[in-house]
Amino acid sequence: MEALISLVARNNKMFRRDKTQVFFSLLSIIIVIALYGIFLQKMQVDAIEQVTKATPETITMVNEWLVAGLLSMIAVTTTLGAFGIAIQDIESKSAADFLTAPISRAKIQLSYVLNAFFIGFIFSFIAFISCEIFIVATGGQLLNGTEMMKVIGILILSVLLASTFNMFLVLFVHSQNAYSTLTTIVGTLIGFLCGVYVPFGVLPGFAQNLIMYFPISHTTVLLRDAFMQNSIQTVFAGASNEQVEAYKINFGVVYEMNGNLLTSTTSLLIIVGTTIVLAVLSILIFKKRNK
Amino acid sequence: MKSIIQVENLHKAYGQHKAVKGISFTVEEGTLFAFLGTNGAGKSTTIEILCTLLQKTSGTVRINGYDVDENNQANIRKSIGVVFQQSLLDDKLTVQENILHRGKMYSLSKDQLQQNYQFVSTYLQLADIEQKKYSALSGGQRRRADIARALIHRPQILFLDEPTTGLDPQTRQFVWQAIKRLQQESNMTVFLTTHYMEEAAVANQIVILKNGEIVAEGTPDALKTKYAYDQLEVVFQNIAEGEKWLQQNELTFTVRNGIYSIRVTSTMHALTVLKQVEPLLASFEVIKGTMDDVFIHIMHEGEAV
Repeated sequence: MEALISLVARNNKMFRRDKTQVFFSLLSIIIVIALYGIFLQKMQVDAIEQVTKATPETITMVNEWLVAGLLSMIAVTTTLGAFGIAIQDIESKSAADFLTAPISRAKIQLSYVLNAFFIGFIFSFIAFISCEIFIVATGGQLLNGTEMMKVIGILILSVLLASTFNMFLVLFVHSQNAYSTLTTIVGTLIGFLCGVYVPFGVLPGFAQNLIMYFPISHTTVLLRDAFMQNSIQTVFAGASNEQVEAYKINFGVVYEMNGNLLTSTTSLLIIVGTTIVLAVLSILIFKKRNK
Repeated sequence: MKSIIQVENLHKAYGQHKAVKGISFTVEEGTLFAFLGTNGAGKSTTIEILCTLLQKTSGTVRINGYDVDENNQANIRKSIGVVFQQSLLDDKLTVQENILHRGKMYSLSKDQLQQNYQFVSTYLQLADIEQKKYSALSGGQRRRADIARALIHRPQILFLDEPTTGLDPQTRQFVWQAIKRLQQESNMTVFLTTHYMEEAAVANQIVILKNGEIVAEGTPDALKTKYAYDQLEVVFQNIAEGEKWLQQNELTFTVRNGIYSIRVTSTMHALTVLKQVEPLLASFEVIKGTMDDVFIHIMHEGEAV
């Protein structure tokens, strides 16, 4: 156990001390914030104004929409960044050095996964606190205790899913070049696949399906639901149920599949189920490779 | 003396390519064992098998009494320390962090780990570099840290894969002295691969590998006697007379820039020759056969023992 803890601590230091790696893990988030400042916020407010009058609460609601998207993205990009240590170790042959000690390959692999989880959670938690400060500073309400616990719970699930998802991807990567390509692809696509860059409703049908079937996007949906519940009620106080539902579907606050709205429980099951399936698949691939 | 490494009929194949072809040797506890060969001879493959990093195709390997076939990986790994050819510690960690993080993988108690750290730190003079990041170290400092990492759990066998390649002579000497001292004081077995034949010359036992097979083995003296020749270099006062004398006595020689290199079987043979040829000499020098000669001879001639 001490060996595992030591390896995780070592991986953690290695990631934190690589400022470039940390920066690139957060690059997608920085881009989203920039895009939000330039046009995404205005686009949403304009859309809402067609239904109801825009107020400061509208801005808060839109900010919460962004924050939920950012938090789901950050779990993916930071955990993937943390897995960079595993690739460095393969390429620099540090992994061979570890294996001269009485420690198994499985334990070494587990140390990367645990490190990714811790890094992902720490960054997500810091981002969550920063987002709350941003929301309050721009006139919004601080989440109450129960809502905060709910968000933290979703964040844990989100980071867990992102860790297993990235562990699965990284199993197929054996060089820094391939890893850089992978981070570029994930960093570029994740904003779209979580429905953060462009509102869900403006995308063509196949893209909407792609997002809905992408399990990580369900963490975005759960986070949006947790963050926006109160402000949606306030903003759409005078609007009909159909108008509220249309907004929720168009902006990916809820998914509609075959005419039915997916519940939070369904999203939760998708997240947990995918985490388990990816973990099992990764273990099987890892075992087969290291027979 | 106990055999701490026993290798019998070891084979390793990568598909159709046979990297190691049925080699057998033993290493006695507390000795310095040199494992030599050109690049691609199968040295690294053999070391990786001995260190449990690679599975053999067939044969028997026992390390410190543990068979690598059985479920003995942890016991074998506790018995060995490995200094790889490349520096493998983490650039972003300090020397102390690197060594202690690795040390924790050996299930040592906190006190034992601290004690071991003090030991390796003193032995390898780490005090001035232990708080420096590994990336900030010179080649020689890195090597000291690498060796300290390999020794942190006080192994019985130390594998050194070309440990002094690329180091300046002063650092090489320091590293080498530290290893020798440690070997003698703690009865540690050292398994060495090197391209520096003068390092191999101080080994207790040498095995030379070529194309995956052992082509020579023995003590440095035995190998030198068999494969290297001493040279008697002479300059004659009268070249014609000197050369005539050499031919009459059927001695093998070469000439370069007026210096005659005569092959002699030993230093005593050189003395006999010198006594006879003394009146004709202007100057002379006896050059001892070296491990370089042994290695070059074996690699070129390919003579099996």
